[in-house]
Amino acid sequence: MSEMQLAFTNTAGITSVMSFWVFAASNGFKNRKDLLIRIGSIALLLAFASLTAAIITRGIDAQRFPLANLYESLLWFAWATMGGYLIIARAYGVPQLGWLASLTALLMFLYGSWLPQSQHDIQPLVPALVSYWRWIHVPPLLISYALFFLGGLSGFIQLYKAGRIQSLSASVVTVALALLAVVLGTFTEVDTAWLQILFAGGSLLGMVISFKLLQRIDQTKVDIKASETFDDISYRCIAIGMPALTFGIITGGLWANHAWGTYWSWDPKESMALVTWLSYAAYIHLRVHRECSAEKLALVSIVGLLLTLMTYLGFNSLGLGGLHSYGKFK
Amino acid sequence: MKTSVKNVLASVKLTIFLMSLTALTVLIGAWCPQESASGKEKVVEQFGPETAKLLSQLGITDIYHSPFFLSLIAMLTLNMIFCSFMRVFPRVKLLRKPLPFLAGKDIGKLPVNTSVVLAKDDKSALAAVALKLASKGFKVSTSEEKLLAEYGKYGRLAATVTHIGLLTLLVGVTITSWTGFSGFQPVLLNSHLDFHESEHSKLWIGKLPEWTVRVDATHREDHPTGEPKQWFSKLTVINKDGKELKTQEISVNNPLTYDGVDIYQSSWGLDHILLNFNGNERRLDLRPMGKLYAAFLPLDQGTMMLFSVRSDGTPIKVFAKRPDWEGPRMLTELSQAKPAKLGPVTISLVRTMPVTGLQYKCDPGLPITYIAFALIIVGVMMAAIPHRHVWVCLETARPQADANGSASNEITAVRETANAAGQKVLYFGGRSVKAKVGFERMIKELERQIIAEFGAPGANLETADSKVETTPALETHVVVDSDLHKSASASKTKSKKEQVLAGKATGAGNTENVQGDS
Repeated sequence: MSEMQLAFTNTAGITSVMSFWVFAASNGFKNRKDLLIRIGSIALLLAFASLTAAIITRGIDAQRFPLANLYESLLWFAWATMGGYLIIARAYGVPQLGWLASLTALLMFLYGSWLPQSQHDIQPLVPALVSYWRWIHVPPLLISYALFFLGGLSGFIQLYKAGRIQSLSASVVTVALALLAVVLGTFTEVDTAWLQILFAGGSLLGMVISFKLLQRIDQTKVDIKASETFDDISYRCIAIGMPALTFGIITGGLWANHAWGTYWSWDPKESMALVTWLSYAAYIHLRVHRECSAEKLALVSIVGLLLTLMTYLGFNSLGLGGLHSYGKFK
Repeated sequence: MKTSVKNVLASVKLTIFLMSLTALTVLIGAWCPQESASGKEKVVEQFGPETAKLLSQLGITDIYHSPFFLSLIAMLTLNMIFCSFMRVFPRVKLLRKPLPFLAGKDIGKLPVNTSVVLAKDDKSALAAVALKLASKGFKVSTSEEKLLAEYGKYGRLAATVTHIGLLTLLVGVTITSWTGFSGFQPVLLNSHLDFHESEHSKLWIGKLPEWTVRVDATHREDHPTGEPKQWFSKLTVINKDGKELKTQEISVNNPLTYDGVDIYQSSWGLDHILLNFNGNERRLDLRPMGKLYAAFLPLDQGTMMLFSVRSDGTPIKVFAKRPDWEGPRMLTELSQAKPAKLGPVTISLVRTMPVTGLQYKCDPGLPITYIAFALIIVGVMMAAIPHRHVWVCLETARPQADANGSASNEITAVRETANAAGQKVLYFGGRSVKAKVGFERMIKELERQIIAEFGAPGANLETADSKVETTPALETHVVVDSDLHKSASASKTKSKKEQVLAGKATGAGNTENVQGDS
């Protein structure tokens, strides 16, 4: 890693930490709210700019498109999350999402920085990845993952603004458990079978409880207008993430056909991407037919977030292999 | 009865149910190693023999070929066909139907609406709105003092295009699975590839080719480090009478295509060496050992000869190993040109036999599948386009606009300020199926611009102020809220809420500016 690249990456990390705290503080200090939001936005913008520079310098250092292993994909994911948030903030003016977006980027940074040195080092490509399809197939997928995350996070805020505090708490715990499973699977030697149970069982149970708790409404917290706004944001994120995911899956098929002579081989990661695709297809159908309340749709978007997490990080860390094990390092 | 079955098959509830069930099935398939991909051994290795047997009995180890999964896909297809033909495709016709122009009264009932009292009877206000909408990508049509603008009309075709794409995909996949075949065969130099051991579905109406492929030459190219760089095979297509039809050298990513069959270079190796020991030929099979290939020849109890070769054409190293030696000792090197003499035995290399791994497939549905891919991508992209309508109408103001008619909307709440009877009023409003918040902001921005350019002085003052001025912080809303509460009756609670919401919405507008500046 060159010094310049390291400097950019560190700046991005530090500024995203800063923007997270400033955004979080802005919820506490009512009379300084606007100023704090402004500072937080500037910090996040700075983080986004330095991350862009970090990715570019990494590409120059490596003399290749810098998206070849888990660490690099995390940088891209954080980049897309920040970029997505900045666009949303411009279009909707919703600082409430800011601290969640910077928290997500931050967690990805932390996760990435804990990875072993071999992931940080620039290493030659495995022969399977030497193809121009790599930069056609992978970035749209990471962008779709980031958008689905933002969609799910907007779902959280929608629940909060709709006064579904208990349901929100249950779903936050669910996502936290899933993240815990991923982190344990990546950094410890815990038996993956238990982690699979933790992830799948926790998600299933947590989401069922969240759905059941939707009936409990805290009227004092209800803010209809804001809940409608976040409902709209969630839908926008998913409506734009969906074409990106579709494009990524299909170009993956074209690459596979080019390299292996078959466009679909039911590889676990392919299958997971299909599951995610189906879940968001279901979301869109529910949305279009207006058969669901905004709160239920918010929970569906959180289910989608869990599946996205499973597809993106859960896969290698929870011990399901296949052709897409480039992120594996254990 | 007949219609009810039809309705169930075309119901979105069924779609959601089938999609969820399919997702769950695929999820299980992703979790459990599949026999068709990783082999039975992998399942046993992961779960132990007993669980593996149970999983196999349940059909989970080959879930994508199980009757359950196939019937699920069939149901989903049926559901999609019914939905498409009963609801999705007919909607395309609606697109051609022109929408009516609306009068002020009807515009007031739209989800988002507002009105501006104009300074004078000025048709140029309408023209200005038309221009502004056109610059935002709206298709504008006008009729006297009325205007209708539409955006993202083709976004409505998203579902149609995606569904046609998915159905096309199924056609492509079905054609391939009923008429196509595929397989892998390691072929020795100068031997033939034929297609008798092809894999194809049980329901198969295809035909295997009668021609075969002869491997005329095959070699490996290495990086300086010894890693393989590329594999090459020179292939000749031969018909059953022995006539040569086509010759081509293939390599990885550079297949041979003949008669709809693609032949890929998929792997490469050395199969055996032929050695001559004092005039007796002996074949020794090679095994890959890291970057090398090795053959073993046991001589007596514990003594063994080892032959190691790196590639065809490179010399063979000969080692011997005895139990009392620490490691194998190298005895000599031999190549085709240079036989070696070991005591009384002369060993010469007759040849090193390479084997080329050829992957082949015949995928007659592929062009259709590719068209389907394109349609699906275009379809889902179109789904992100919001479909929007704006209606505008220039009218002489009625004494009291019917604010009751328009349901909960913040813009309605802050308008109708001046009693503008007799003056010209520009009514405008619209609807957006997706991205509603952005649409509301666009309408508000439009309102602000119209007021600034054409508004009657005084008449829109309050409205304009509530939009343009910096919005106070959250506390102010609470004040407004409680002030209204004092005076308002219970029935007015709704409009009170709207007031607050309107203030908040413009507050959000300010934040955007802040961030835009930063």
